[in-house]
Amino acid sequence: MELWRQIFIHGMNMFNLFIISYFFIGNGVYTLLMVLSLGSVWLYNRRLTYQGMDEIRESPVTPPVTIIIPAWNEEGIIRATTESVLRTDYPELEVVVVDDGSTDRTLERLVEHFHLVKMDLIYRSPLPTRAVRGFYMNPDLPNLLVVSKENGGKPDALNAGINICRSPYFCTLDSDSILEGDALLRLMRPVIRSPLNTVASGGIVRVMNGCQVRDGRVVKVGLPKSWLERFQVVEYLRSFLFGRTGWDLLGGTLIVSGAFAIFHRETVVEVGGFAHDTVTEDMDLIVQIHHWAVKNRRRVAMSFTSDPVCWTECPSTLKMLGKQRRRWQMGLCQTLWKHSEMLFNHRYGLVGNLSFPFHLYVEALGAVAEFLGYFMVPLAIIFDMVPATLYLLFVLLSLAYGGMLSIGAVLLEELTYRRYPRYLDLATLLWFALLENIGYRQLVLYYRFEGVVRFLMGFRQWEKVTHVGVAR
Amino acid sequence: MPFLIEHLTEIVFVLFVIALLGNFFLIGIALARRQRRQKFFQRVDALREKYAPIVAGVLSGRIPYPQGLHELGSISGPDRLSMLEQLCLEKKPAPGQVPVLRRLAEDLGLVKIWQQRLMGQFDPSSLREALTHPQGLIERVSLLQFIIRAKSAENLGVIRHEPSWPLLVKALEGPHPDLQAVAARSLSAIQHPGSFPALAAQLHKVVLETTSALSLRAIKTALVSFPLENADELLPSLRHPNSSIRFYATDIIREMVKRQAGGDVGFLLDKRNLEPELAEVFLVELPFDENPDVRARAAPVISYLADSRAVPLLLTLLEDSAWFVRLYAVRALAKCRFLPQAEQIAGALTDPNWRVREAAVRTLRSFGAVGRDRLTDHFLRTDDRYSREQIADEFQRAGLIPELLAQCAEGGNGRETRVLNYLAEMGKTSYIVSVLTRGEGNGRLRKKFLQEFGRCSDPQIHHWVEEVARQEPDTELKALARAALMASQSQGEG
Repeated sequence: MELWRQIFIHGMNMFNLFIISYFFIGNGVYTLLMVLSLGSVWLYNRRLTYQGMDEIRESPVTPPVTIIIPAWNEEGIIRATTESVLRTDYPELEVVVVDDGSTDRTLERLVEHFHLVKMDLIYRSPLPTRAVRGFYMNPDLPNLLVVSKENGGKPDALNAGINICRSPYFCTLDSDSILEGDALLRLMRPVIRSPLNTVASGGIVRVMNGCQVRDGRVVKVGLPKSWLERFQVVEYLRSFLFGRTGWDLLGGTLIVSGAFAIFHRETVVEVGGFAHDTVTEDMDLIVQIHHWAVKNRRRVAMSFTSDPVCWTECPSTLKMLGKQRRRWQMGLCQTLWKHSEMLFNHRYGLVGNLSFPFHLYVEALGAVAEFLGYFMVPLAIIFDMVPATLYLLFVLLSLAYGGMLSIGAVLLEELTYRRYPRYLDLATLLWFALLENIGYRQLVLYYRFEGVVRFLMGFRQWEKVTHVGVAR
Repeated sequence: MPFLIEHLTEIVFVLFVIALLGNFFLIGIALARRQRRQKFFQRVDALREKYAPIVAGVLSGRIPYPQGLHELGSISGPDRLSMLEQLCLEKKPAPGQVPVLRRLAEDLGLVKIWQQRLMGQFDPSSLREALTHPQGLIERVSLLQFIIRAKSAENLGVIRHEPSWPLLVKALEGPHPDLQAVAARSLSAIQHPGSFPALAAQLHKVVLETTSALSLRAIKTALVSFPLENADELLPSLRHPNSSIRFYATDIIREMVKRQAGGDVGFLLDKRNLEPELAEVFLVELPFDENPDVRARAAPVISYLADSRAVPLLLTLLEDSAWFVRLYAVRALAKCRFLPQAEQIAGALTDPNWRVREAAVRTLRSFGAVGRDRLTDHFLRTDDRYSREQIADEFQRAGLIPELLAQCAEGGNGRETRVLNYLAEMGKTSYIVSVLTRGEGNGRLRKKFLQEFGRCSDPQIHHWVEEVARQEPDTELKALARAALMASQSQGEG
């Protein structure tokens, strides 16, 4: 009995140590990212004052881009998205919509609206995909091509789009998202400016819920009404404005949101395209590119910029939020597991030594530790292993620090882009940033924990998130 | 241990209080910042409301220049400079407005300040302005001075201030790639011939020094914007031992020529617009360069040269061992004056690389009806499956199927029917069927099609014939479809 007691005490002590280290490492890195992002985004914003769009728009050396929109059962939104994308301000633009075997009227909506005709074109497939059923074009609208193919999932649809596109760069865009008019020009700016071959460039994804959308454009920015969506607005700001910016500055980019990103086609084809064995194909591709670059001794750049904006609809119900977060967490675990040899591998530089371990320890394992912590630490108090006051204070510190990071993200938004024009919107954002760690964080944590469990159980299924259709 | 735990509790408590205070501090900054920005924008809006019509009036000539200058000169306050800058440069001026804007900026004293700032010197008035807002002070930290310097370079470029070009050339050697890139851009806007060699030298530097932070695209964009008369400055680059420099120089001249031609298919390069020595390099050296990229980029320039050697050279490049040289050559031949070379271009339709085949199809199509005839002939004659596929692809993409069907309905010379037959054999009938299905009032076309193709075994056509036989209100068409179905049925049984 004594032995079991000893094992239990040691186990609890180990767990407590893990929780404390998780708290300090996680928050330490987040604080570093926040400070770096504050400086970086401020500086970037100042540099924008002399970086007009005309040069990129008018330059003959601006490379052509293809926007690839994978769509599966998006009959409600696909027309608006495609129309909005076709109006994107970019000198040489091609739009490829890939209908991934929709069972609704997604394809018909496009055919009817854009007067498309079915054609039997040549399909060359350097990346293997499911069979293509047909191509749809309107000869009077030569920069739009719709591809209908058998259902094979988002990565398969994206790969089909890559096979078809002719441009040196392609941009992936979710079918429920809306691009700002000059977003593509802004996203291409780091590619054009970089002295190195920029193989991936990501922009910021903002929450569209609560905004007014007209003719496929966000015409008035506002906050959503429901608390769930408002928390996500804060979360997106934190994740994109200081998470992605910070990692970009450190050169440790591991995630570029596939909802809106530009990739170098040739490189993506060389690494084998979007993989099917993870549910976060965008993160997997980035990690795969790191692999490829190290293996082939290529000097490549990846960038994240905070001014090209893509508006997306966030889940408005708990059920949909759960589906989304479980998938994200499961995909994170799958990708980290798949590329585990990168962990503390000095050949990958900062990615292998800091970014990868951080994502594993804090983002993947941290979800389990934090979730279990809510149960284990009280157990430790019951067994008189930790004083209750200390535990309570620790919880309060964790909440206050988390709040500070979220408020920091809102402040960063206020110091730079100020997309939410009303004073009341700012006050609301700050209030929700303060409250985010009480309740919402634990809810998301639960979904993330479920995601890890699903990963351990070997799930590989995509959970489709349906939206109410803000842009409709 | 209890002693340590007590201390730990105290430490955590202190950290908690600090974090809590940090929360309120950040909230305070955010709210104060919003208030400050609102005040700032109120002032900007008020000034804009009052003075923007004056600036617009002066630029369009509606307001006499002295009056406008006097009124704008009356703006005061610590942020006078930035307000004036904002008012004058808020909108991109039309080319005709640039001289007035330049004069305005000079008379308001802005040009002098921009020049000083570009050189990293700061006058007392701008320092006073900087003291009014924290970011102005931060920007004066020497490491961040490039922001103000680059902004000044940008402003001088917007107003195309020619006397500033030597300062901008100096800025090309500036401490930050942003400053270098903006200086290059402004030089390209001013287009002073004296700055071209400096930009060309910068190109060499960027190519040769792998550590250079300035992007090649930035310098290339700047060089490309210059008129073609400056191209002879690139002669040393075209003969440089480094093949990358030769490649970039060739590509820059290609872009310059393309811009100068501006879509005019009759545009030609002769000694009036291109130095004979430069033309000789393109005719004698570059088509035989060891670097295939150079050969490829030379082809489009050669295609514009008014020289008898140009055509044979292009045809040689059409046979090059590197596929992308052939690609550039076949694209370069997409001009009506190369119509006599259609036979050789048609040879590229069977090229092993599909991009070359595709380009050949498009080049022939750019020749109009003659080119299309050539394509059709090739389509009917060739045994090469790939080139036939490529042409079929282009027939569809270019929307030629309705035309083919219409010609077929009108009788034509039988070629259209044969093309359609081949398309049906290749299974490329989706477009054909959609034209037949959608068309209202195309009874004649459908009748002809039923007569010619009613018994075709292609599943899509067969399905369409079945639909006509079942649902068509026109009794003649319906009868034709039924007859075609019966015939194909008996054919199958036979």
